[in-house]
Amino acid sequence: MSLEQDMDTSAGVDTRAASRFGSEAITIAVIFGLTIVLILGSRFISPAFGGWGQTETILFLSSFLVFCSFGQGLVILVRGLDLSIASMITLGGVLTTTWLAGSNEGLWYVVPAILVVSAAIGSISGFGVTMLRIPPFIMTLAMGIIIYSLCLGYTQGTPRGYPAPALADLMRAHFLGVPAPVILLLVFVAIAVVLQSWTVLGRRLYAVGNNPIAAHVSGLSTNKLTIGAYAISAMCAGFTGIALAAYANGATLRMGDDYLLPSIAAVVVGGSSILGGKGNFLGTVGGAILLTTLGTILAALGIEQGWKTIIEGAVILVALIILRESVYEAIRVWMGRSSTG
Amino acid sequence: MRVTKGLASLALGALVALAVTGDADAQDKKKIYLSLSYSGNSWQSEAANIVKALAKTPPYNDTVELIEVISGTDPQAQISDYESMIANGADGIISFPISSTALNRTIKRGCEQGVLFFMYDATVTEPCAYNISYITSGFGENTAQALVNELGGKGKIFLSRGVPGNSVDERHTNGAKHIFDQYPGIEVVSEYYSYWDDRTTQQETAKALAAHPDVDGIWAQAGEYGAIEALRQANPDRLIPITGENSNGLRLALANPEDQAKGLKGVSAGSPPAQSGYAFKLMMEILDGKRELKPMNIQYPLPWVPADAVKVCEGDTFENGCNVFPEGKVPSSFVTEVFNPELLPELSLVSALEGEPTPGATIQPLAADVVVAAPNEPGINCQRCEPPADLYKLTKIEPTVKP
Amino acid sequence: MSAADTTPMTDTAQASDKRRLLTGLASQGAVLITVVYVLLWIIYASEQPSALSAYSIESLLNNSLPLMLAAAGQTFVVLQGGFDLSVAGIISLSNVVVAVYPVEGPFGALVNLAMVVGIGLAVGATNGFLVAYMRIQSIAATLATMIICQGIALLILKAPGGYVSEFISYELTGSLFGVVPVAAVIGAAVAVIWLAFRRTNTGIALYAVGRDAAAAELSGIDVRRARFAAFCWAGVLYGCAGYMLSAQTATGNPSAGEPFLLLCFAAVALGGTSFSGGSGGVIGSLIGAATLMLMQKVLFSTGVSSFYTGVFQGVIMILAVLFAAFVQYMSRSRGNR
Repeated sequence: MSLEQDMDTSAGVDTRAASRFGSEAITIAVIFGLTIVLILGSRFISPAFGGWGQTETILFLSSFLVFCSFGQGLVILVRGLDLSIASMITLGGVLTTTWLAGSNEGLWYVVPAILVVSAAIGSISGFGVTMLRIPPFIMTLAMGIIIYSLCLGYTQGTPRGYPAPALADLMRAHFLGVPAPVILLLVFVAIAVVLQSWTVLGRRLYAVGNNPIAAHVSGLSTNKLTIGAYAISAMCAGFTGIALAAYANGATLRMGDDYLLPSIAAVVVGGSSILGGKGNFLGTVGGAILLTTLGTILAALGIEQGWKTIIEGAVILVALIILRESVYEAIRVWMGRSSTG
Repeated sequence: MRVTKGLASLALGALVALAVTGDADAQDKKKIYLSLSYSGNSWQSEAANIVKALAKTPPYNDTVELIEVISGTDPQAQISDYESMIANGADGIISFPISSTALNRTIKRGCEQGVLFFMYDATVTEPCAYNISYITSGFGENTAQALVNELGGKGKIFLSRGVPGNSVDERHTNGAKHIFDQYPGIEVVSEYYSYWDDRTTQQETAKALAAHPDVDGIWAQAGEYGAIEALRQANPDRLIPITGENSNGLRLALANPEDQAKGLKGVSAGSPPAQSGYAFKLMMEILDGKRELKPMNIQYPLPWVPADAVKVCEGDTFENGCNVFPEGKVPSSFVTEVFNPELLPELSLVSALEGEPTPGATIQPLAADVVVAAPNEPGINCQRCEPPADLYKLTKIEPTVKP
Repeated sequence: MSAADTTPMTDTAQASDKRRLLTGLASQGAVLITVVYVLLWIIYASEQPSALSAYSIESLLNNSLPLMLAAAGQTFVVLQGGFDLSVAGIISLSNVVVAVYPVEGPFGALVNLAMVVGIGLAVGATNGFLVAYMRIQSIAATLATMIICQGIALLILKAPGGYVSEFISYELTGSLFGVVPVAAVIGAAVAVIWLAFRRTNTGIALYAVGRDAAAAELSGIDVRRARFAAFCWAGVLYGCAGYMLSAQTATGNPSAGEPFLLLCFAAVALGGTSFSGGSGGVIGSLIGAATLMLMQKVLFSTGVSSFYTGVFQGVIMILAVLFAAFVQYMSRSRGNR
């Protein structure tokens, strides 16, 4: 599909990089613009809406989706798909509560240990996808089923224990009036953007996603890079699990279920191509916040669930239509005209 | 192709060996299948553990062969598993059904082959299966009245529901709305689905709180401890009346003077995992020829624990009227109603948590007149039937405020 | 996927060449998964002798058919290089409609069938329009339509219930002349229709678009039309999947389609269709879906049925794919020599 779009925009090879950068900036602007419109518009639904309080809640709740969407985005960037995210979140949560067992002792090694375990599992998925050539869909789906089953067996169906009190306190803390999780979100986004867009690793992942054969010919070890993407994705999901367990002060076995489809949706709504090689993490962040905002507003509506669901789908559809490539093209042309004329 | 053949014969050999050893000790025992769905909360494992513990308690340890099967959340998978159980010569199937209707045809076929079906908690509408459930006992309307009483008949409330498109959720909510609708002062400002899960409840409640920080009360189904966590997150100094199910966390909070001072009031009622144990004992008594069971729909009494009735247990069972375990002994999401001193005296905490029998316990027969028939409820325990006129009659609480 | 890698993907060879190549590729994927399927059958039958009884076979086929139809539909979309999540929504919606508006008798069954085909076609055409003409990514567009369909299903039926007409629920799950299960007939019919479709211009266009849309466009294929058609076919087949699911369960459930979402992708992948588009076929997906449902039986009959069921389920899925790849590798290296 990306091929086709390139053909249609017929911008010519030379200007393509520039136009892509421009269209990414526009995606991000449009998606955050839509979110702000939604937040302001929600004032009509509840007088408590549209203020800083609601924004804080939205940022806070969307942080979990942002964490796991970063990994999902990297995997999609290298032409894959990670369906094991839900189980990896559950694993992160279950290990947090069982290994810490409600004590701060050992916090300093348990959290890194969970991240390492998650990354190791992600590497196995990556190994299967690259070395054994198993389709990502099957590999990560199977891995997800296996990990969920292990969680079930490990906990005997009842996740025990509590996260460290320090973690739970962190989720409730405020710094300079801003909730700690929101600060955590900002720090995470900053690191992730730098990693994906400004480092050698990030640029190489784009290269692999754009054209694996060309990347291989030009001397990149595409397999290692792909495995790396899956490892980071699993690690992000594990991290999401830790954060969720701290927030909920405990773990449940379905705690990851609500994040699988939304993580893919956030990435795609955020302007990344499901076929790989194209996308920007800020767009994904916008997508995640947009979806969470929508959920928050729908929760406050006093209408039947069927209608809520229909509205949710319709708003996503409208967002997708607004976020289309050709619409950017029009905006760009219009902006070009107005600046010259 | 040679490789394939080799693999196949290897696999076959191993399986045949398995089959032979597996069948040797299965003679003369009742073959009972425990078919589970896993929606992921601790409720399911507690209910399953109770059955496993009872099957290991003398004399059932010598007379029962219990085989546990987990079918996930897909009705198609459970249909397939039921078919296999029937084909394998099951004497009885005790099950948490994933769907109230989709399994009917398979169950009917099983009944025709002489298999006993006992459903616990969730129900099926196939008339040849026994349903052992609290669903008809009026959770929705009774807790709703309790909340109305606490609020003095007026205020803004949230409804934290279960799973969309689920018959149990629908029944509870209809009962609750029947009460709320009588009070014009009660305004349902937000209604959301929490999937009977603590963490989902917490997030959904947080979303609703963003719109309505001035909410006065929450009517919740299972997962209610998440609602308390969400309130604490939003404002550590203010709690509101909450009615919910049987989580250890809710009961402890209800009895905690600090939380009471912040405004927490309410009642803990709802789905007891102990239903599975009751269903299992009834089924075994039929199989052993000790009981004839006429009604197919059997009601399990609704647990009802208001704040002033919460009592912390010192030991590992419900003794002297205690009904909650101290913090740290079990997780907050642990569902406390695993015991029933009258119906299930054989159980202790090790049964609910590990599925192991209580040392020294033996199976006690159920009282002859123990069975209470459940009223007809279309879509819950029967199809094409009429519900009683007083379907939403209050049984646990009286209205203290006039509409 | 490995199949696609080895084929020269340059551009439009002559139609006859392409046809031969496609037939080869599609049948190869289907043959491999068939081998896996037969292997699992041997294990199942050796563990459980009653597996070979007419009733067991019939009930297994009835149980498998909805997923088989769903996977067949998904294959059309995957072949042209996309994902279709609306499968879950369309199945739920069809199931609910058949259960809420039952029409008795054989004629009634046709009326109900027309309803679900209409629903499938309408949603499929919407998807096709969004993807082919509005150029929205398929996974995103179909996510939105899936959610909308689920909402409509909930509006029509709030909680599980309703009745499916007796003709649908009894005749369509029984056996023709008491011998041939109707489910097998339907499965075979889909396979035959597919074999015919594959040779039509639209069928050839589907593969060409999936392999290289730009090249297909240059060679005069109407890419948009091909994509649009793929989504329509898919929608109709999902509708039929919902119809057969209703026949099996005899009631409606507003969330009936949810379990099909990931399973039908797994079936397509097991059947050897590549997610990068342009290689594979419906027959592989049909058997892939049947394999997944058979796996449930095998897991049960071998006694692997406690907390760790999922481990075996996952491992079998991976092994099935690896096994197919291994056989393919062996046969290819032998052929080269």
